[in-house]
Amino acid sequence: MSGQITSTLPQTSSSSLDLWREKNNRLVEQARQLTGDSRLSLRRQQLAQDTLEEFGELLLTLQGLPASVPALPLELTVICNYIILKASLAQGFTEDLTQDVQRGVERVLETQNQLEPKSQQGLQGLWHSVLSASSLLPELLPALHCLASLQAILWMSTDHLGDLALLLKTLNGIQTETSEDLLLLLKSWSPPAEKSDAPLILQDAEGLRDVLLTALACHQGLQELITGNLPQALSRLHEAASGVCPPSVLAQVYTALGTCQRKMGNPQRALLYLTAALKVGVTCALPLLEASRLYRQLGDTAAELESLQLLVEALSATPSSALKLHIEVELLLPQPDPSSPLYCGTQSQAKRLLASRCLQTGRAEDAAEHYLDLLAVLLGGSELRSSPPTSSPGPCIPELCLEAAAALIQAGRAPDALTVCEELLSRTSSLLPKMSLWENARKRTKELPYCPIWVSATHLLQGQAWSQLKARKEALSEFSQCLELLFRALPEDKEQGVGSNCEQKCQPDVALKQLQVATLLSRGLEWVASGQDTKALSDFLLSVQICPGNRDGSFYLLQTLKRLERRSEATAFWREAQNQQLQENATRSLPLYLETCLSWIHPPNCEAFLKEFGASLLEVS
Amino acid sequence: MAGAAAASASRVHYLSDFCCPLGGRAGAKPHVLRHQAEVFLSTGREFVYVYDQEGGVLTAVYQFPDQVWHLQLLAIRRALYVLCARTGIYCLSLDNRDRSVIQACEDKEDDTCSTPVIHVDPDACVLPNAALCAFTVLDDMLVTLVQGPTQWKMQLFERPCPGEEPGLGGQIGEVELSTCTPPGGVPGKPSAPCFLPVLSCAFPPDSGAPHGHPQGCGCFTLEEALFGLLFGADAALMQSPVVLCGLPDGQLCCVVLKALVTCGLAPGDPKALVKILHHLEEPVVFIGALRAEPHAEEEAGEPLPEENVHSDCLVALGHQGRTLAIKASWSESGNLVPDLREYCLPGPVLCAACGGDGLMYHSTPSNLCAVDLTRRDAPWNPEKPGGAAGGLPSTLCPASLNICSVVTLCVSSRAPTGGAELLALSSKGRLITCSLGLNSEVPVPPKMTMANAGQKIKELLLDIGDVSERVSFLKKAVDQRNKALTSLNEAMNVSCALLSSQEGVRPISCTIATSWSRLELRDVLMATCTLENGSSFSLDQGWTLCIQVLTSSSALDLDGAGSTFTYTIPVDRLGPGSRREVTLPLGPSESGALDLPVTMSCWLFYSLREVVGGALAPSDPLEAPYLEKLPLNLPKQDGVCLPLCKRTVDMLQCLRFPGAASQPAQAPCVPGPAREPVETFLKTCQAPGGEPAGAAASLRAKYLPPSTASIRVSAVLLRTALEGGHSGSHLCSATLQWLLAENAAVAVVRAQKLSSIQGTAPDGTDVNLIVHEVAVTDLSPAGPIQAVEIQVESSSLANMCRAHHAIIRRIQTMVTEQAAQGASPPDLRMQYLHQIHANHQELLREVQTLRDQLCTEDEVRSCSTAQKLLQVYKQLRNPSLVLL
Repeated sequence: MSGQITSTLPQTSSSSLDLWREKNNRLVEQARQLTGDSRLSLRRQQLAQDTLEEFGELLLTLQGLPASVPALPLELTVICNYIILKASLAQGFTEDLTQDVQRGVERVLETQNQLEPKSQQGLQGLWHSVLSASSLLPELLPALHCLASLQAILWMSTDHLGDLALLLKTLNGIQTETSEDLLLLLKSWSPPAEKSDAPLILQDAEGLRDVLLTALACHQGLQELITGNLPQALSRLHEAASGVCPPSVLAQVYTALGTCQRKMGNPQRALLYLTAALKVGVTCALPLLEASRLYRQLGDTAAELESLQLLVEALSATPSSALKLHIEVELLLPQPDPSSPLYCGTQSQAKRLLASRCLQTGRAEDAAEHYLDLLAVLLGGSELRSSPPTSSPGPCIPELCLEAAAALIQAGRAPDALTVCEELLSRTSSLLPKMSLWENARKRTKELPYCPIWVSATHLLQGQAWSQLKARKEALSEFSQCLELLFRALPEDKEQGVGSNCEQKCQPDVALKQLQVATLLSRGLEWVASGQDTKALSDFLLSVQICPGNRDGSFYLLQTLKRLERRSEATAFWREAQNQQLQENATRSLPLYLETCLSWIHPPNCEAFLKEFGASLLEVS
Repeated sequence: MAGAAAASASRVHYLSDFCCPLGGRAGAKPHVLRHQAEVFLSTGREFVYVYDQEGGVLTAVYQFPDQVWHLQLLAIRRALYVLCARTGIYCLSLDNRDRSVIQACEDKEDDTCSTPVIHVDPDACVLPNAALCAFTVLDDMLVTLVQGPTQWKMQLFERPCPGEEPGLGGQIGEVELSTCTPPGGVPGKPSAPCFLPVLSCAFPPDSGAPHGHPQGCGCFTLEEALFGLLFGADAALMQSPVVLCGLPDGQLCCVVLKALVTCGLAPGDPKALVKILHHLEEPVVFIGALRAEPHAEEEAGEPLPEENVHSDCLVALGHQGRTLAIKASWSESGNLVPDLREYCLPGPVLCAACGGDGLMYHSTPSNLCAVDLTRRDAPWNPEKPGGAAGGLPSTLCPASLNICSVVTLCVSSRAPTGGAELLALSSKGRLITCSLGLNSEVPVPPKMTMANAGQKIKELLLDIGDVSERVSFLKKAVDQRNKALTSLNEAMNVSCALLSSQEGVRPISCTIATSWSRLELRDVLMATCTLENGSSFSLDQGWTLCIQVLTSSSALDLDGAGSTFTYTIPVDRLGPGSRREVTLPLGPSESGALDLPVTMSCWLFYSLREVVGGALAPSDPLEAPYLEKLPLNLPKQDGVCLPLCKRTVDMLQCLRFPGAASQPAQAPCVPGPAREPVETFLKTCQAPGGEPAGAAASLRAKYLPPSTASIRVSAVLLRTALEGGHSGSHLCSATLQWLLAENAAVAVVRAQKLSSIQGTAPDGTDVNLIVHEVAVTDLSPAGPIQAVEIQVESSSLANMCRAHHAIIRRIQTMVTEQAAQGASPPDLRMQYLHQIHANHQELLREVQTLRDQLCTEDEVRSCSTAQKLLQVYKQLRNPSLVLL
């Protein structure tokens, strides 16, 4: 059959075949020259686009003729070049690439004269009949294997792993049900070598196979890491690291290995991997983030904060990217989503993490500075190279302002905290309920205005700041305003409540209760300081009613009762409280600003006092 | 000019003419911008014109490689950004222009054209990307919208400057919007989309922007409450500009620009970045904002400087006129809630613009309207308890400005008078300005002076010109509708006339006659339908005469159902009293067969679509692309159908009589397929060995006894029936005349008083009709009954059957007519009749069994069965029965 076609092909057409081959080679050279330059410019990209179009035209020319064996190696090579260029320009795989591959396979089948009955079988069937055909010519094999590797890559990118396994088996010539391990199958496949006079190709079958191998190992390793199958993850990731691995992917793989070792309880080995990842040198952000997690686990706060500081700096540099005109491992790896261990976020997210860790570890001055930097970038000038540190819907910046205010108060910079709070309120004033309308509405309707919870929290922090400045009157007024808002406004919108904290999710109603308790206690303490014990008493009592068994509330209530010499009431309350378990303050899941605020109210000698009080009651009775 | 504008409510000035491809090419999107005295204009072609309004001259023409889709001016940077279809974004520096103009002039010194066309240098392309569909430029950023294979992609770049080497390094962020349907056309070469997406940018107050943007550029400042309500507290806190995007699928979404900064070059998370505000369900063509409530200061009488006007109402317009308006308002309890309303304005919308004073201007092919979005009836009072505060009007009332087909608009306010001035480009390419006075009350005529009289007259003439353009457009539409109504009225009359005279003589009739004629060496049976309009109405455009020809199934083709063919002939103006003839060939077909009988039915059809559709479809080419989207869409088949007549053509009408003396010329040609004469000759010369069908027939005629059939009809019956037409003549001849009444040979029969005749069937076999009188003896006790026997003889069994069938059909009709007249049958011998009846019953039963056998048996036996069956049929055809 093929002999016939060769003979029918006139001699003159071989010269045009040569012309087309030269064109293909010229285009490949052109693309390679474009790849060389590290500067990525749009004009360069336009040139690459033009090359792609020329490849497309060449392909149309070749496919306009009936399929013939002498022309097929060139045709398949042009298809491969076209697909490689198209995928790398679009930085992804589209549906039409599959059609290009299918067209190529059909052309091969056409020369084997067996296309008609096979056309119903789908792509998998087509591949099977092409590769298992007896009439397959050896000179066709290199190009055909290259096309097959592209098919494998397309199936991997669309997660058709079953099809991929079948194709690999056919390529390896395995008929029986042997191993389903894709990695093994890939490794045992050795594409035939290209001849020296073959038309040029952008990436040969072996190169594509290596890309596929690394991507597959990397992908599987990460999956195992996420599901917690750590030894398996370790071996897969090792596999990926030992293969052909571009630096950016290698850094990711080493970081993932570090994560894996950390989770397995080997911090020293984890550190070694992270050092190796840093040495790769393309992107430092990911290993630094992982290092901060590791140091946090080890309790080395100084080292943790230092790596976070470095992370912030690392993220400020924009990654330089060169024009790549071949299929790389990155193309096959999906972008890490926020839940992935390989997600490192934006610079402002890192900055916020650093600031909040500073606040949590008692470095209030540093925390305040970091928060102020972050706010300056976000709220200030017109510079756009920063985005809010949120990845979830709902406002995040108000909370950030509150954290900043809390850090400033903690650092003893109450006036600055007041400024931050005022700025927050003034910028959002137009969104807040109109008090005048509200007053009118109160007389007529039962409907309550909706007010975001962070507005009341702002008043709480303002009160705390005034309190630090010993301005009792202002502090009391802020606390009262906060309470008025809190007892009226129920968070209608869960999304906009306190629960929108980016990292720790907590029940909005828990947060609301804790906020009410914190405000009541703060106001009570203000009353105590100004000598109005009865008013303080009612606030403390209310706090205990809202949150029965709250230790801080109970402490202040008992202390005040004792000071007022109302011993019987204290005893009654004590007995009642004894019946209920005294609760630990549930501060673990609260927003950071509230947690900080509660820590100010917490009496230092609470436990001792309660024990003593209990003992004295027992003595009396 | 400004002084004159103050005098009247609106005044139109004609500025210049530009040639426009409008309506011709899909996706053409003209634009007009004004910066101080300069007007920048694109008509939807490859050109961008710069026009000096004060001098009234065209100062520059730039030519781009493809259609210009969008223009934006960044006045503060002295740069004009142009989106060129399938190419990318170009940036032209306005400062360098003079130099390049001079250069171009030098280049083309010998050229006759007054304004040189400057070919834009490819280096001016600052962002080459063939898939770019829209952009908006801010002070330091460029936001673009790219159509990907499956999704719209919004990209954010550092603003490229004129002459800067384009680099991807400037990309700051990217996010994918909702899915889009990929455009048709060659892959890799996107075709022009029908609708382009719309981008605009909303700024929060006090953000320092948008400086340097002329009005109508799609950039506006929103008031705090509306901004925060629409885009959230984060956007309000960050005071970030927000890009609003209206997509061709109707989605209206927004992206907070400061959030559109991505990590690396990976696209941002669309869930966190893109917020869908609304879905208009038709292509979004305009997004704008306006001030619907007067500022407190303004109410006090102090006009605010323009840059301090913050819009409090966001407006989006769909192509069909669906309008969305969003305002912030306060609920009864004091909460901030969105007041969102949808309206329907007349469509299709060509362009729109927002002006001051709460007015939005929107243009359709027939009108330019000003729409007032303020709630003038109930001024908002913040302290007033109750009452929906600051709402939007419940309905919109567009006020016409009497200008039609404006394709692009630009609004600017003229400070001295306070009124607005529209700069508009009409579909014919005229650039006009329209000054809208602030006070539309009774204009005080200014004192006419010699100085301004000429100017005044010129303005009046221009006004007249514009009005006349509009009048001619409307008149054309009215004429078309009138014509359609007249036509419908006539059709109504005709239908009534035809339907009311169901029984009597119809005012519009159709008669059918058949005749043989020779066409291309072949005899063809032609049917002539004559449509005669006897009514007082005329049949006009929209009427069609339909003739359906239904052939009976061939005897040889057992399961053939016969073919139907319908001819439709448009009746083009058939006045009262006139007639129209239509001649159709009935057969024989190419294969030589003519399956008789053929039934022909005629009816009149009135197409509503043809008449009404034309009136509803606008004739303006501008609206052509929107035609199929008309809401009133008539189905293709809609119309009125009036049956006229029905006629069966049978064998007796198709017989030819070559022997008849009066038709010597009409020797029937050799029947059969129409072939080359030589071929026909050869065929006839062929030896009997390879005999063709015709030769077989003649052989059969020679050697086989002819098939016969006979019918006996009582002479009395015939005589009474034929009394009228054939009185006096011999009964046999009269019968024959009656049978061949619709045949051309009837004259010969009458003249020669023939009682038998030899004819030829359409396929060439002979058919003999013999009529003679017989006496039937044993039927009546009263003695022999005089009867007429009609005998049919033919060598072809099929033709004999057809002729027999035709005769039976005639006699059947005759007998039923006679029975209706109450003719009494003579006394008969009942037993004899019973006997005949029983015989026939027996025969019929035999036929039934034989036919059943024929179906089941093999070939050899079925042959003999068929033989038997033929015998029985023969017996049935020669009954001893007499029709009385």
